[in-house]
Amino acid sequence: MDTIATTKLSGEEIFDLMKKFITEVIGEEFVEEMDITPESSFTKDLEMDSIEIVSFSEKIKAHFGEQIDFTGWLSSMDLDQLINLNLGMIISYIEECQS
Amino acid sequence: MPIVTVNGKSVHIQELNKGAAETIVLVHGMFSNLSVYYFNIAPLLATKYHVVLYDLKSHGMSEKTLLGYDLESMTNDLLALMEELNLQKVHLGGYSFGGLIALKMVILFPERINKLAVIEAPDPNDDKTRGIIDEYSREFLEHYVENFTDTTKVKMGKRQMERNHRMYEYLFYQTSIKTDMELEKDFFGSPAIETIQKSTLLLYGTDSNCLNAGKHLDGLIENAELIAVPGDHNIPIQQPLVIAEALLNFFQEK
Repeated sequence: MDTIATTKLSGEEIFDLMKKFITEVIGEEFVEEMDITPESSFTKDLEMDSIEIVSFSEKIKAHFGEQIDFTGWLSSMDLDQLINLNLGMIISYIEECQS
Repeated sequence: MPIVTVNGKSVHIQELNKGAAETIVLVHGMFSNLSVYYFNIAPLLATKYHVVLYDLKSHGMSEKTLLGYDLESMTNDLLALMEELNLQKVHLGGYSFGGLIALKMVILFPERINKLAVIEAPDPNDDKTRGIIDEYSREFLEHYVENFTDTTKVKMGKRQMERNHRMYEYLFYQTSIKTDMELEKDFFGSPAIETIQKSTLLLYGTDSNCLNAGKHLDGLIENAELIAVPGDHNIPIQQPLVIAEALLNFFQEK
C-alpha cells in the first residue's frame, strides 16, 4: 500500500508518479514500447481499458487519500471526455487540488 | 486493490460511501467487469447509498475459476460476498447476465433483498444470446468489436484485443460457462419467476434486441415496471446518467 502523500508535488513529479502507476497497471513490457507524454490519452494512446483505469484510479486514491476526489472528478465526465482523458488533464487536476 | 475471499476464491470489490444506512449491490454482465458502473452510475448512487460493486469469477480482476457459471452458483457467490461484507439486506441491480443473477438471487434468497433492478437481462432461450456463446472464435471477436461495440464509441487497440481474446478463450474453452448457460435456457419459463414479489424495475434499450425479454419479464413479475431508455443493449455505457437517475429514483421511492 502506498503511503498517503503530504508534500506538494511539482507537475513533473506528478507526471513521473503517473508513469509509475501506469507501468504497474499495464506492465513494463508494454510501457517500454510507448512514448508516454502528458498528451498521451488513456484509451487511445495507452490502450487502457476501463478496468485498468479503475486500478489506476485506486492507486491515485491510495497515494493522495482525501486530498483529491479522483473518482468524483471522473464521474463528472461523459463518455467522450473519458475517452479523450489524457495524462496532462490529470496532472492539472492534482496540481489544482494541492494548491 | 480491495480483494475479499468468497467461496475460497479472490474477488475484486469496490465500495463507495461505506457509512450510508442502506446498501445497493450491482452485478455486471458476462465478459464485462465492475467498471461498467464504477465511473458514472455508482458515484451517483453513492450520494445516498453504500454501493458495492464486484467482479464476477474470471472477470475483471477476480480470480479465474473453471466451474460454477450456472445462476445458482453465481447466486451462491453473491450470498457469500454479502456474508463476508456483513450485509443482511440490500437493494440489488444487475446488468445483462448480471440481471439474470439478480433475478435468481431474489428467487432463492428473497429475505436478503429489498428492491430489484434488472437492466437488459436477456432471455437465455433467445437464439441470438446463445448464438454468441456457440459461435465464438477470434474472427467472431474481431467482427463483434468492429460492428457492435461502435455504439459505445470505444475502439479496442491491439493489446486490448489480445486481452479480451484471452478472456473469451478461457471462458469459452476452459470453463463450464457454455454448458452451464445452456442449462439455464428455460429460466424465463420456470414458475419461480412468477413468484417474485419484490418491487422490480426493468430498464431496457428502445433499440435493444433484448427489449422483448424486458416485456416478457414485465408480464411475469407482478410488481414490475418497465422503462425503455433510448439506446441498445449497451445503455449503461451509452446513457449512464439516465440509468443512474432511474435507479436512484426507484430505490428511493417509498
